[in-house]
Amino acid sequence: MGKKLHSFLIIFASLIIISTTLILFYFGWDYYSLPLKERFFHPNHDLLKSSGLLGHGLGIVGTILMVFGVTIYIVRKRVKKFQRLGKLKYWLEFHIFLTLLGPIMVLFHTAFRFGGIVSISFWSMVAVVLSGIIGRFIYLQIPRSIEGNELSHDEMNKLNIELKIKLKEKYQLESELISSLDENSINKMDEIKSSAIVKTIFIDVMETRRKISAINKYLHKNNIPRKERKEILKISKSKLLLSRKILLLKTTQKLFGYWHVFHLPFAIIMLVIMVVHVGVAVTFGYKWIF
Amino acid sequence: MNGIKYKILFLFFITQYLFAQISPGDLSNAHKNLEGMSNCTQCHVLGDNVDNKKCLDCHTEVNELIKSNHGFHSSSDVKGKECSECHGEHFGRDFDVIRFDEDKFDHSKTKFELTGKHSETKCEECHKTEFIKIKKLKERKKTFLGLETSCVSCHSDFHQGTLSSDNCVDCHNTEAWRPAPNFLHNNSKFKLVGAHKKVDCEKCHKKEIRNNEEFQKFTGLKFSNCVSCHTDIHKGKFGTNCAECHTNISFKNVKNLKSFDHSKTRFQLIGKHKALTCNECHTKGIRVKLHFENCVDCHSDFHKGELASDEGTTDCKACHDEHGFAPSKFTIEEHNKNNFKLTGGHFAVPCNECHFVDENWKFKFSKTDCETCHDNVHKETLKFGTAVVEDCETCHTTTAWSSVSFEHSKTEFELIGKHADVSCSKCHFKDEKLPHQFVSLTQNCESCHTDNHNGQFEEKYKNNCSDCHSPIEWAIETFDHSTTRFTIDGAHENVNCNECHKEIEIDVNKFVQYKFEDVSCKSCHT
Repeated sequence: MGKKLHSFLIIFASLIIISTTLILFYFGWDYYSLPLKERFFHPNHDLLKSSGLLGHGLGIVGTILMVFGVTIYIVRKRVKKFQRLGKLKYWLEFHIFLTLLGPIMVLFHTAFRFGGIVSISFWSMVAVVLSGIIGRFIYLQIPRSIEGNELSHDEMNKLNIELKIKLKEKYQLESELISSLDENSINKMDEIKSSAIVKTIFIDVMETRRKISAINKYLHKNNIPRKERKEILKISKSKLLLSRKILLLKTTQKLFGYWHVFHLPFAIIMLVIMVVHVGVAVTFGYKWIF
Repeated sequence: MNGIKYKILFLFFITQYLFAQISPGDLSNAHKNLEGMSNCTQCHVLGDNVDNKKCLDCHTEVNELIKSNHGFHSSSDVKGKECSECHGEHFGRDFDVIRFDEDKFDHSKTKFELTGKHSETKCEECHKTEFIKIKKLKERKKTFLGLETSCVSCHSDFHQGTLSSDNCVDCHNTEAWRPAPNFLHNNSKFKLVGAHKKVDCEKCHKKEIRNNEEFQKFTGLKFSNCVSCHTDIHKGKFGTNCAECHTNISFKNVKNLKSFDHSKTRFQLIGKHKALTCNECHTKGIRVKLHFENCVDCHSDFHKGELASDEGTTDCKACHDEHGFAPSKFTIEEHNKNNFKLTGGHFAVPCNECHFVDENWKFKFSKTDCETCHDNVHKETLKFGTAVVEDCETCHTTTAWSSVSFEHSKTEFELIGKHADVSCSKCHFKDEKLPHQFVSLTQNCESCHTDNHNGQFEEKYKNNCSDCHSPIEWAIETFDHSTTRFTIDGAHENVNCNECHKEIEIDVNKFVQYKFEDVSCKSCHT
């Protein structure tokens, strides 16, 4: 997949999620904002209620999207037969798209009523989504190959050195400036505590900006052409980002381990209760258009 | 294996818990007793949503209404609908299962159209517990069920059972309870005619307090005759058939006046009153009450109060009756009861001779003496009020004016002898042309008598006729001639007087000469 097509799809998917959310809010806000006891008397109640034509439809479609999104990702990831089918990154993005759009639709299916057993499913879903977002963040902190496979520590150091050489040899950047990229206020030998990871990242981001700014000034001072300058800055940013990832690697790996334990069980709970919910709904005759 | 066993037990436990939580929300307060997993199928039919039949199995009162085609639930708006379309659930305890815009609700769909005052009445004024008879519904905090359409189901029976409570609308409608707009009095046994149409209901249908409540009597009223309601101001004098004289336009509007028996009133029409037309007395109309105690209540007082009593009342009946003012029935006997009794000549005198004075009738006189009517012909010739003449009656009586009886001895001139036989007029009315003479008369003889002696005795005998004469006999029977200058003796004693005293004539006057200048013999004898 070309980079442009990928970007387009990402934007398109994002637009679908945002517009779906906005449209549903716009259309249903008048109803959803009502106190529970008033909703029955709203003219759109029959349409927007959980068992209404739209409300029920949102629940069913949202559920299908979620189940499908989870299933295909698991299958791609776990089933050997499909492990070579497309980049895992894209599958993850598609998984994220479906498991974001699905819960949003389910959210509107609930009509913002969070009671009873199905609320457990809902909140589990929320937990899964949030944990997914956090997981995605942690996931990004772990350096990966182009295929998306995790890099080893050595592979990362090698990559880091390659970047340094590239800056030194290709762009004739001063050694002092290159070594400044390696300087870090955080002790590299200490393992960053999980609880301090956000703080560490924040400090490092500020540090990275300062360093990039210094390089930029230097490049301007030496009248480095724009295209070249841009390339140097990009490599420098990659170098700094890689250094941070290397620094946080142990911690992020540890957190990611925890995340798996968190993300999956909630997904299972959500699924189980959802099955119960669907079962009960069907049992009591709520079959949507069927 | 143990692990699987525990997982199955956990799942079983979880499943139980989960099933208890499958409710999409709390039931409303009305249905809170149906909370819980075991009660789902009380309303829900497995595989087929909520069934009306299940609702109506509990809500039998609604079911009954639908079956009997009564109430809103049997209207076309509701027929064919699911209960759940209007009555939601699982929206929390405080959810209104029944809610609708009470102001916009078309009550005619309940088959009880709100008209008139009902349309202005607030829902809760009718839909309240005290009007509901079904105990089960009565216990509900708020319900629109349980009311009957009969008026008395909401309204208290003002008539307290005296009128049929099934037919309120025969008289009343919803526009106004009172006065009963549908009631037609002419359909009742007592038709309203004439002035009765304008009379306030309460005038006949009196209000009272019965059983500690306001009550108005509409039944059991007597109306066979007018006095059932009206006070007989005649106190039964004219019987009970008021219609003989009165119309129903107004009691004051009297008919059949010509045939009216006035004798039934306190004022009998007698005499001239019979010939009068009603309005000659009832000038202000027959309905204006007349005073009739005194004649002057109608008649003007001819006598202008002259005959009024000291109290100011005038009793005409003493003199007049209904047969005419004239002649008066005031008789002589009546007259004689007064201070002035009619006697003698007064009997024959017509009333007007005395009572018509100066062209006016006069019946009261301050004095009743003779002079009030009669001229005092004696004027200054008599002194009244003396011991001799007190008043006219001293001499006169009413028998005849000319018949005078006077005791002359009261005067200084007693009538003796011939004087006693002389008529009064001989001395007192010597000439008709002259005034009577009483006090002006002297006691001298010449006052009445003529001096036949041609003044022979004037000097010596003036006013002393009695020296020779007496009232007994004018002729001198015994004259003592010796008292004169010539004593009679001898032959003279046999000589008649006239032989010496002869009639002579001097200056045409003839008289007997008694006085002589010369009394010598030769004066007589030759």
